[in-house]
Amino acid sequence: MQLRRQPLSAPRPGDTRPAAQRLAVPLLLLLALQGAAASGGPEDSGWLQDAEPSSRLLSQAARAALHFFNFRAASPSALQVLANVLDGRSWVNQKKEYKFDLVFTTEFYSAEEGEKRLGKCSAQVFFRNEKPRPAVNVTCTQLVKKERRQEEDYQLYKLMKQLKSPLNAVSIPDSHGYIAPSLRPIWDLAFLGSSYVMWQKSTPFLHYYMSQISSVKQWKTNDDAIDFDYTVLLHEFSTQEIIPCRIHLVWYPSKPLKVKYHCQERQTPEEASGTEEGSAVALTELSNF
Amino acid sequence: MESPGGLSLGLERPLGLRLKEFGASQSHRSFCPGVLSPPSYPARFSFPLCVLQAAQPLRNPSEKLPRSPLCLSSDQVLRILAKNEKQLSLLRDLEGLKPQKVDFWRGPARPSLPVDMRVPFSELKDIKAYLESHGLAYNIMIKDIQVLLDEEREAMAKSRRLERSTSSFSYSSYHTLEEIYTWIDTFVTEHSDVVSKLQIGHSFENRSILVLKFSTGGSRRPAIWIDSGIHSREWITHATSVWIAKKIVSEYSKDRIVTDVLNAMDIFLEIVSNPDGFAYTHSMNRLWRKNKSTRPGIFCIGVDLNRNWKSGFGGNGSNNNPCSETYHGPSPQSEPEVAAVVDFIMSHGNVKALISIHSYSQMLMYPYGHSLEPVSNQEELYHLAKDAVQALYEVHGIEYIYGSISTTLYVASGITVDWAYDSGIKYSFSFELRDTGRYGFLLPATQIIPTAQETWMAIRTIMEHTLHHPY
Repeated sequence: MQLRRQPLSAPRPGDTRPAAQRLAVPLLLLLALQGAAASGGPEDSGWLQDAEPSSRLLSQAARAALHFFNFRAASPSALQVLANVLDGRSWVNQKKEYKFDLVFTTEFYSAEEGEKRLGKCSAQVFFRNEKPRPAVNVTCTQLVKKERRQEEDYQLYKLMKQLKSPLNAVSIPDSHGYIAPSLRPIWDLAFLGSSYVMWQKSTPFLHYYMSQISSVKQWKTNDDAIDFDYTVLLHEFSTQEIIPCRIHLVWYPSKPLKVKYHCQERQTPEEASGTEEGSAVALTELSNF
Repeated sequence: MESPGGLSLGLERPLGLRLKEFGASQSHRSFCPGVLSPPSYPARFSFPLCVLQAAQPLRNPSEKLPRSPLCLSSDQVLRILAKNEKQLSLLRDLEGLKPQKVDFWRGPARPSLPVDMRVPFSELKDIKAYLESHGLAYNIMIKDIQVLLDEEREAMAKSRRLERSTSSFSYSSYHTLEEIYTWIDTFVTEHSDVVSKLQIGHSFENRSILVLKFSTGGSRRPAIWIDSGIHSREWITHATSVWIAKKIVSEYSKDRIVTDVLNAMDIFLEIVSNPDGFAYTHSMNRLWRKNKSTRPGIFCIGVDLNRNWKSGFGGNGSNNNPCSETYHGPSPQSEPEVAAVVDFIMSHGNVKALISIHSYSQMLMYPYGHSLEPVSNQEELYHLAKDAVQALYEVHGIEYIYGSISTTLYVASGITVDWAYDSGIKYSFSFELRDTGRYGFLLPATQIIPTAQETWMAIRTIMEHTLHHPY
């Protein structure tokens, strides 16, 4: 049995050097390189490859790539989640920016238990300091054929059109992790919208999961598109914080997703307001990235 | 099929009548003691404890009238008779539409069985409108839950618990604090030859902190300590521990390893390490993590109990901001929930393994969390973790990763297993149970038993190793 997801940097028996020491060598190289900086290199100079990339960092980068992929695909019936990182390389530069080159497998988000993985992706992810969101270049293969995906999206869309507006103050899932089958499309669509937000907010050190839809402000289906205004609770893993985000999206099958959001960061007595204005793009068409 | 909130209490007859007889005129409207609310809270909420107490059939009408109420709520319990499957499914939909708002005491099962549903005061109008608009007949079983209890309630509760058995307890559902504590008493009674209940302290809001002791005799035998629920939103951990408790007693004298372990060692199991937080996840905030301690002048509530231990306290991976989810508290062991465990383990003095159960991520880890420095027996722990994870995998094919906490999960300071290790407990492990983020803390109840089954096999592996490597 091949144990997947075993951290690549798990200390091998006998390897008692602390990880900090193992990183010291590449750092020394970096300092040496600074003196002999390669000018005229094809990319930004000063990129130093990490000899032993942390599998945790690679996984986080892969997740960020998948959030972007899901958002761009705008297909609630074909959402992907990370299965395994197969291969990954990482670089850091003097400005402490990170970039990653990854190959990973994916699973269908909506799969029933027992259905196994399907997708395989390769991605380059660049966490810059200036732009908060990571720049992602991602290609996935072996997924559902486009026609079938569009058909399934359309079926989902028809189901959504039939849904009566969910009562206010609904929580999906409930405390026991239960999602009523009729509400499942809402969950999938909410996850699609959250993918945009989670992509925007991901850094090498912050990664997010969608915990729960805590309220539905609006679920409009009378026009062609689905107009969905809801609050979702995101779980940021390294700080363990729960972050409520108000998301407003408009979706129509095979069209790009329109979304804007506003997250409420943790309030503290010191900070005046913990709010963070999300995308300044007010529901304009986001066609290509 | 179990309804999500389902706990069948075997109610034989409507209770509303009896309570009305001498309950209705008593109006001791006071709030539940021991439940502290920050100033910004809305005043009305329903406290599950009082609801469950109300469910107990009263023995006879001449029972003394209670003097001091435990708590009060104007929730109602409705009894609904669904005429057919369609109506049943409407009721199930209601659970989906109003999660956390309706609480099925007797869930929608078959058309011939009544459905009993507790409805908070704020939802009554909506719910009744829903029922009426769908032609669902109901009557009000308990009109106004006024629970009036006095010092005799403990005796009443005790005798009622003896009447029930653990075979009617649903291991595939999530339970409230009261339900778990009730189950503990029943469980101990049923297996009193091997199991006893210890109270090791009180929480900040003055709830009992309970530990189950599994012992076949001896005196201060070398022991294995297992705790769960230190982070209250990790519901799968309490549910897993309850199942494991049952498994231990059923495997004793059947399974060679369990028998050998219990013939030489004791097992201590703390199912609810954070009872205040756990109660809070049921009543107000399902995603609450910390305890409920407050301090004068401090705006935010709660300390992360898994940052409050005396090992690397205050270091990276913990936070000195009281509003943070990883707030370590003012000082090591400042929290009563942590101090209780420390006092118990130190005065016991013979604990040889400590297993702390969390969720989620699917990981099995050993110290340290506060530093990247490997522990001295790191190779042994690595191989033991590997074996345990293999045993876990063989149950349902679920894959865990393993390693030290700092390299596998993240750097975290002041954590349980670091303290345990530094206190001389060589075999200190931390679990992060299912899943890896799809449902996270809100793991569906359908996964409780599979999770418990596989986790048990990993724990059994660790126990066996501890038994065969005395120190």
